[in-house]
Amino acid sequence: MTLFSIARKNIRKNFANYSLYIGSMIFSIIIYFTFVSLKYDQSIQETTETSDKISSVFNGASIVLIIFVAVFIWYSNSFFVKKRKKEVGLYSLLGVRKKQIGRMLFYENFIMGLIALVIGIILGLFLSKVFVIILMKVMGFKAIGSLAISSQAIVNTVIVFILITAITSIHGYRLIYRFKLIELFKAEQEGEKEPKSSITTALIAVLLVGIGYWLALQDILMSEVWKKIGFLVTPILILLTVILGTYLLFSTLTVYLLKLLRKNKKHFWNGINLISTSQLLYRIKGNARTLTIIAVLSATTLTAVGAAYSLYYNNRSNAELINPNSMMFIAKNKNVSKQIDEQIWGAKDHKIIYHETVPTFIVDVNISNLHNNNLPDEMEYSIINNKTFNQLAKLQKRNESLSLKGNEAAALEAGYSESFSPKYIGASIPLKVNNKNENITFKKLKKYNVLNTPTAGMTIVISDELFAKFAGKTKVVNMEVYKLSNDENAKVLTKKIENLLPEEADFSSFYSNYAQGLESTGLIIFIAGFLGLVFLAATGSIIYFKQLTEATLDKDRYVILHKIGVNKKEVKRSISKQILFIFALPLIAGISHSIVALTMLSKLMETNLMMPVSICIGVYVCIYIVYYFLTVRNYYKIIIK
Amino acid sequence: MKTILSAKNVQKVYGTKGNQYKALEDIDFKINEGEFIGIMGPSGAGKSTLLNIFSTIDTPSSGEVIIAGQNIVTMKEEQLSDFRRNNLGFIFQDYNLLDTLTVRENILLPLALSKVSPNVIETRVKEIAETFGIQGILDKYPYQISGGQKQRTAASRAMVTKPSLILADEPTGALDSKSATDLLESLTVLNEQNHSTIMMVTHDAFAASFCKRILFIKDGGIYAEIQKMQLSREEFFQKILNVLASLGGGQ
Repeated sequence: MTLFSIARKNIRKNFANYSLYIGSMIFSIIIYFTFVSLKYDQSIQETTETSDKISSVFNGASIVLIIFVAVFIWYSNSFFVKKRKKEVGLYSLLGVRKKQIGRMLFYENFIMGLIALVIGIILGLFLSKVFVIILMKVMGFKAIGSLAISSQAIVNTVIVFILITAITSIHGYRLIYRFKLIELFKAEQEGEKEPKSSITTALIAVLLVGIGYWLALQDILMSEVWKKIGFLVTPILILLTVILGTYLLFSTLTVYLLKLLRKNKKHFWNGINLISTSQLLYRIKGNARTLTIIAVLSATTLTAVGAAYSLYYNNRSNAELINPNSMMFIAKNKNVSKQIDEQIWGAKDHKIIYHETVPTFIVDVNISNLHNNNLPDEMEYSIINNKTFNQLAKLQKRNESLSLKGNEAAALEAGYSESFSPKYIGASIPLKVNNKNENITFKKLKKYNVLNTPTAGMTIVISDELFAKFAGKTKVVNMEVYKLSNDENAKVLTKKIENLLPEEADFSSFYSNYAQGLESTGLIIFIAGFLGLVFLAATGSIIYFKQLTEATLDKDRYVILHKIGVNKKEVKRSISKQILFIFALPLIAGISHSIVALTMLSKLMETNLMMPVSICIGVYVCIYIVYYFLTVRNYYKIIIK
Repeated sequence: MKTILSAKNVQKVYGTKGNQYKALEDIDFKINEGEFIGIMGPSGAGKSTLLNIFSTIDTPSSGEVIIAGQNIVTMKEEQLSDFRRNNLGFIFQDYNLLDTLTVRENILLPLALSKVSPNVIETRVKEIAETFGIQGILDKYPYQISGGQKQRTAASRAMVTKPSLILADEPTGALDSKSATDLLESLTVLNEQNHSTIMMVTHDAFAASFCKRILFIKDGGIYAEIQKMQLSREEFFQKILNVLASLGGGQ
């Protein structure tokens, strides 16, 4: 009997034990293969005009995936190897040579790797098609499900996984050389000691996380601390303090709190609390590293997915903010304007909600009085009068009106930023048109515009009488604004009008900004969602694996408990409690970290991320709950068997 | 005197039709309150099977077992758990202590499970620890104490609920002779002073000589029964050895 056939037999006979390991390998391969297939997919590359951007995003993401998948497989491999120490020890005891055992383990692992590779790629072929369709959908394209199999993707996946399998197989080969025979036999019964904890380290843990949070929640542009430490160093410092703090939190603070709980006789000496609390106390320290990794991964996932989803989610409101009118252009030629009007009236899919002709003049304004050193002295503004503003504001359903007198003025700036925009309120600037010069004073600032920003830029509203004074001195241009129904689908009409107008008309439309945003944020949300799902599945699986290994170790304890009269219901309650703790800890830490990170981001971007982030966290928690119940069920099954 | 345990025609058959093996055959006996009874017999005689049935961990193929007035054969799983907790105490050869709990917590576990109030728990633990002489190690963990101490802890746990019946399975099997003697003496004290009812399964004639009555089992049936009566421990020990010799097995 050759070693190879013993290895093959081992796998066949022990398939149940191996299935968890093979399962996690297949999972990794499916994920990786699906992702690489998307990268090489023809229909995706053809339909997007920005395929450069796509392939670079895909490349970056696939490197993240490789690292992740390698770590994940390594983890499940060492988990698996640990379980087999005894078997390996037995071979050695029976007189099989170390070299032979090593070779056998190598073959075994390699065979499993190959099986997983074949299954993974076959399943991946189907899954990648599903994902292509989803991707096209979120990017706003009609899905064309081509059935081409990408040979590039297969070759890429095979190379990556044969490498990973080779590395883990060598690791398996070396197992027998790394341990003494006695250690192999005692692998599962290493004595556990009560973990130690001290108030000082527990306090340091809280302090570290506190410092990290405090730094992250500073107003980055104003903060003295950030300036002192440096803008590049501070984020790293935040990461370090929070990660280290989380680790200490899990390894000492929880131990400390559990010990406090243990001292409380009323709680602790009460039924199954005695069992679940003491079990946790023993387990938590050994789990601290895993829990930290999971908390950090969850935080990263939630932050990335939350941020990406907010972009996608806010796309419409952003497009609306800069294009309050569905279409807008500067009317230079009456004939063209008339042609366009006819086109719009004739469009079957759209109804005109309003159409206005807005008199304006465009001037370069000296803004050196407005206290912002980041801006040039002169900037171009469109000037409109008070009456026009009120009229458009009413049409756009804003419950606001202006009543400016004399030389009073109001500034309209969509996407106004405290740090980057001029300081308007109260300031006076000279408004100079040809030889006419008047000082205007800003009374009001609106953080939106009634005109489309791509056409009109920033806008100043002045009183009707001042506008009239200037009107005589310069040429007033008319801007045409249209509001249409169903404007997010105005692809055809937009194209037609674009062709009719010259470049100088500065044509802008809600549709172009909306579609552009959808295309780029759609890709980002897809990739973030995909990676997020992978990380989520992986963190869930890591806890799941870890708990199930512990279940086999805890089994004896539950046998004792059964003998002294603990019934099944109580056992189940104790298990549920214990596992809930293990699941909840990293989840709470992860959510809390990501909320801080996203608050920082939302301050920086000056948008409200509340809704999209809540949705993300909600979905994340739901999937976690499913994992939780799955783990409890299988843990219980192992114990009761 | 009150009967604590009564077994009637207890049978246990393993295997399927055509290939049956009778582990127990028509076992019929009673244990009265305050007895310290030993069960002896060669390997494979059915001692463990019998103990498992009395422990309610296993069920007999036929017959009935009544402990503290309740028929345990007809009870359901959940009822059995409660029954074990309230009426039975166990001492095992390999101690079966929970390594995540201190000695004190191990002892009080059955009380905590029955939701006894912390104050009552505290006094009960103190009492029982004194009886077994383990007051000094209450806050130690099982891995920090010796085998003898572990077994005395296990015995304390079995006794702390004041169960109707204490079942001991080779309690001295893993102990040195000094620790074994200490444990057996403590059990004797409890039996005599508190009238605890103890049933001990053992291989060891020396351990058995602490009992008041001994049943010998061979090939699944009761082979002989002897009483200590007014004999000294040494004389009783001799008597046990004689029976064992006639049994043609054992040690």
